[in-house]
Amino acid sequence: MIARGDAELILTCALRTGGDFAEIFYEDLDSGDIALMDRRIESANRTHTRGAGIRVFKGTSTVYAYTNDLTLEGMLKTAEEAAAALGSAREGGEPVRLFTAVPRNIHRIERFAGDVQSKRRADVLRLCDAAARSLSEEITQVSAGLMDEMQHVLIANSDGLYITDTRVRTRLRITAVAASGTENQTGTQAPGAQAGYEFIEGLDIEALAKAAGRTAITMLHAKPCPAGVMPVVIENGFGGVIFHEACGHALEATSVGKGNSVFCGKLGQKIAADCVTAVDDGTIANAWGSLNIDDEGHPAQRKVLIEDGVLKSYMIDRLGSRRMGLPMTGSGRRQDYTFAPTSRMTNTFICPGKDDNEEMIRTMGDGLYAAKMGGGSVNPVTGEFNFAVNEGYLVRDGRIQEPVRGATLIGKGADVLFKIDRVGTELLTAQGMCGSLSGSVPTDVGQPRIRVKSMTVGGR
Amino acid sequence: MLKKFERLVDLAIKEGFDKAEVFATAQSAFSVSVYEGEIEDYRVEKSAGIALRGLYGGQMGYASTEVDDENEFADLVRRAKENAQVLESKDEQFLYDGRERLSWVSSSNPALETVPPERKIALAMEMERACKALDSRVARVAVSEVGTTSQSRVLVNSEGLFRTFEENIAYAVVEPVLAVDGGQVDGTAFLFTRDFDALNAQALAREAIEDAKRYIGAAPIPSGAMPVVMNQRAMQSLLATFVGVFSAEAAQRGLSLLAGKEGETIAAPIVTLTDDPADGLGLAGRPFDGEGVPTRRKNVVERGVLRTLLYTLKTAKKAGKETTGNASRPSYHSTVGTSPTNFYLEPGTLAPEALYAQAGNGVRIDAIMGMHAGCNQISGDFSLAAKGMRIENGVLTEPVEQITVSGNFFKLLMGIAAVGDDLWFGFPGSCAVGAPSVLVDGLSIAGK
Repeated sequence: MIARGDAELILTCALRTGGDFAEIFYEDLDSGDIALMDRRIESANRTHTRGAGIRVFKGTSTVYAYTNDLTLEGMLKTAEEAAAALGSAREGGEPVRLFTAVPRNIHRIERFAGDVQSKRRADVLRLCDAAARSLSEEITQVSAGLMDEMQHVLIANSDGLYITDTRVRTRLRITAVAASGTENQTGTQAPGAQAGYEFIEGLDIEALAKAAGRTAITMLHAKPCPAGVMPVVIENGFGGVIFHEACGHALEATSVGKGNSVFCGKLGQKIAADCVTAVDDGTIANAWGSLNIDDEGHPAQRKVLIEDGVLKSYMIDRLGSRRMGLPMTGSGRRQDYTFAPTSRMTNTFICPGKDDNEEMIRTMGDGLYAAKMGGGSVNPVTGEFNFAVNEGYLVRDGRIQEPVRGATLIGKGADVLFKIDRVGTELLTAQGMCGSLSGSVPTDVGQPRIRVKSMTVGGR
Repeated sequence: MLKKFERLVDLAIKEGFDKAEVFATAQSAFSVSVYEGEIEDYRVEKSAGIALRGLYGGQMGYASTEVDDENEFADLVRRAKENAQVLESKDEQFLYDGRERLSWVSSSNPALETVPPERKIALAMEMERACKALDSRVARVAVSEVGTTSQSRVLVNSEGLFRTFEENIAYAVVEPVLAVDGGQVDGTAFLFTRDFDALNAQALAREAIEDAKRYIGAAPIPSGAMPVVMNQRAMQSLLATFVGVFSAEAAQRGLSLLAGKEGETIAAPIVTLTDDPADGLGLAGRPFDGEGVPTRRKNVVERGVLRTLLYTLKTAKKAGKETTGNASRPSYHSTVGTSPTNFYLEPGTLAPEALYAQAGNGVRIDAIMGMHAGCNQISGDFSLAAKGMRIENGVLTEPVEQITVSGNFFKLLMGIAAVGDDLWFGFPGSCAVGAPSVLVDGLSIAGK
C-alpha cells in the first residue's frame, strides 16, 4: 500500500510541471492457476504482482509511468519522470490533499479459492476429466484449469480521492478434445465469477464437462459449413459476443472520443432495430465483469446503451469524458498497473424481448442456427466485425438439421443491428476476456436467442 | 543482484528442493503518441520480476513475484513447494546443467538507449504531418506512436547454469483514417528495428496511406472455391497463429495433428520452414532458450518433409531425442513452454505478380482478422474475415472486403502451389514469424 501522506506528496510532485490532474493506481495481485492434462495435474503456478502507475493529464495530453519500486523515493522519481514530460517545474502549485473514501461492496466473497487446499481444487479438475471422458471413447484429451485471483487496488487522485478495493475472481475452464485419428475437434466451457471458491462449489461440474465433451463429439461428426448469405439464429449466452463486437467496442469513448467510430454523434438517433435494447451493467452482484469501483476509482454503473433501437449512452472513462464533454460512466478499466485505463465494457448484453424461441426458427426458412459462439474481433473505424461459431446447425425449411463446423459470421455493426428481427425472452450471460488498448479484462457478454435477417456466413 | 538470486537458489535447496532455478527479467519501455500536433500519450515503464522453480519430490514447482525484497523469498520457496506437492506429472523433469560458452549474450544496440525522447516525439509528429500532407482525405491519424523497449534476463540454477541476455527494440506505428463517400477507411504501417535511424516517417506514412487507399470502394465478391494468393502479411498471420502445432508438447498430448508425422511429407515439396535463432532476421533471436539450452538453426519442414518438431528437455526425453533448444519463457511468470525463435517459410524466386498470373482468376487475401476465435489449433480449421484484391486474368483489379476465407492449415500446407520472393516478418513477440506470398488452391471464399 501507499500511505495517504505519501500519496499526497507523490501527486503533488506529479503536478509540478503544470499538469491539471494526477492519479496513482496501486495494485497487489495474488493469482494462481492449477491445471490438468492427460488425466493428471500437470501444472500449478502462483504469481505475486505488485506495482503502481502514475498518470498525469494536461488537457487531453496524458502521461503514464509505472514501476514496481514502491518506496516513497521510487514513486517520487516515477512521478518526476511523468511530470517532466509535460514541461519544467514551476513554483506555487497547491499541495494535493486526500480524503479516504470507502466503496460500497456489492460482491460478497466467502472464501478465496487460492486458500482452498490444492488437493480439493485438483479433485474438481479430475471430476471434469472423468465426466467428459465418460461420454465416449472419442474424447481423447481433456484439459481443465482452475484460476483464482485476489487483486487489492488503491486509487488516489488530485481531486482528493483515496480509495481502496479488493476484487476476487475465480474461473474454471474445461476443454474436451474428440479425435477420430485424422481429425480433432474441441468443445469448451469456461464459467467464471467475481466470487470465491463458493462459485466452484455451486457449479454442476459434471454437466459442464459433459457439455464441453458433447460439443467436441458433435463437431467431430459435423460437415464443413457451407458459405453464403443467409438468416442466422444466434443462441443466448456467449452468443452475446455479436453485440460486444458489432456494437459494444464502437460505443467506447476510446473510439467515439476521437471520431473513430461509426456511432459518433448518434446519441438520440436510431442505430438498431426497434426490438434491440442493450445495457452495460457493472453492478451485477458477483458477475464476472462487475466492479465496485472502476480502475479510476469511479463507482460501477448500470447504463442503458440502446433503448428500443435508439442510442442512449456511450461508455466513458475519465480521458474520454474530457474529450467528449460527457460524464464518466464507471467504465475506466485496465488489465493491471502496466496499462493506463481506458473505456471498457463490464457486463454487456441485449435485454430480453418478446419473441418466441421456436417461432424464430420455424419462420426463418433456410439458414444457420449458431448454438455456441467463439470469440470475435472488430475494427471500430469501419465497424467490420467477425466471430466464430463453435457449434452450428443448418436450418432447412424452418427445422434444425445436421451440425456444421468452421462457420464464421462477419458484417458491419451499423448494418447488423438493423437486421436483428427477433429477440427472445430468456437472457443468459457468459464469461469472456476482452482485449483492447488497456489490456485484457474480464467481461460478461449476453443476450436472449436472437435472429438476424441475413448475414455473411464463412465456411466451405 | 546475482548474489541475491544465488541466495534464493540456496534457500530453496535448504528448504528441501533437490534442484532449483531462478529466472529473473527486468524491462523498461518508453513510448509517445501524438494527435493533432500535440503529445497525446507519453509512457515511461519499468518493471521486474523473479521466478523460482525447482524439483521437489520429482515434480517441478513454480512461483514468482514482482516484490523485490528478500523477505519475500521465504514465501516464494513455500509457494513453489506447495505447487510441486499437488502435481502428478509422470514426465521426467530437468534443470539444465550446461556450461557451454555462448558466442553472444546481447542483441541490445547501445545506441538505441541514448536516443532522446525529443527525437521520438519529433518522429511521431512527422508521421502524423506526413499522412495529412499525402492525402487531403485524411480525417485524422488515429495512431502515430514511436517507442523503445529493452529487456534483460538472468537464469541461474543449482546445477551450475548461469546465463544472461539483453535486447532492445525501437518501433513506429501509424494509422491514418480517411473520410471517403460518407464513411471511413483506415490503414496501418509499422516497423520494428534495433536501428532508430531505420524508422522513416515519410516511408511509413506513405505505406499506411497506400494501405488505406487500396480498399476504398471495396465490396464482397461472389462466394465459391477459387485460387487464392495469401499475400506475405496474411500468410504471416496464419503461420503465426498455427505455429503451436509444431510443438512436440502439443503433439505428445494429442493436441497437434503432426503427432507421429516426423519424417513424413506434410507440405508441398516447395515448402521449407526454418527456425533460425540468429539475431537479425526477425528480431526474436536468442542465444539460449527458456531452459538455458543453446539455440540452433534447423529446418522444421524441409521440402515438404517434417524433419523435427520443436523440443524442450522434457519433451525430448519423452520422445528419446535431443532437445532442439525451443523451450520458451516469455516472462518471469511463465512456466516453460515451447516456441520457435525466428520461424519462417523460406521465400521462393517468384515476384508476387507471377503468383497472380498463375492464379488467373481468384482473390489475393491481404489481411485476415479474428484469428483468436476463427482458427482451431487442434483441428487446423480456420474461417476468417478477410480483405484483399480481386485477381482477374492474372492481374489485380478491384478491392474486396466483407468476405471470409476458410480452409484447413494442414491442407493448405499441402496445397501451396507457388511461393513468392517477398519474405516479411511480423511483430517480434516470444517468437517472430515470417512468410512470403503463396498461391494456394481450393480455399473457400464467402462473399455475396
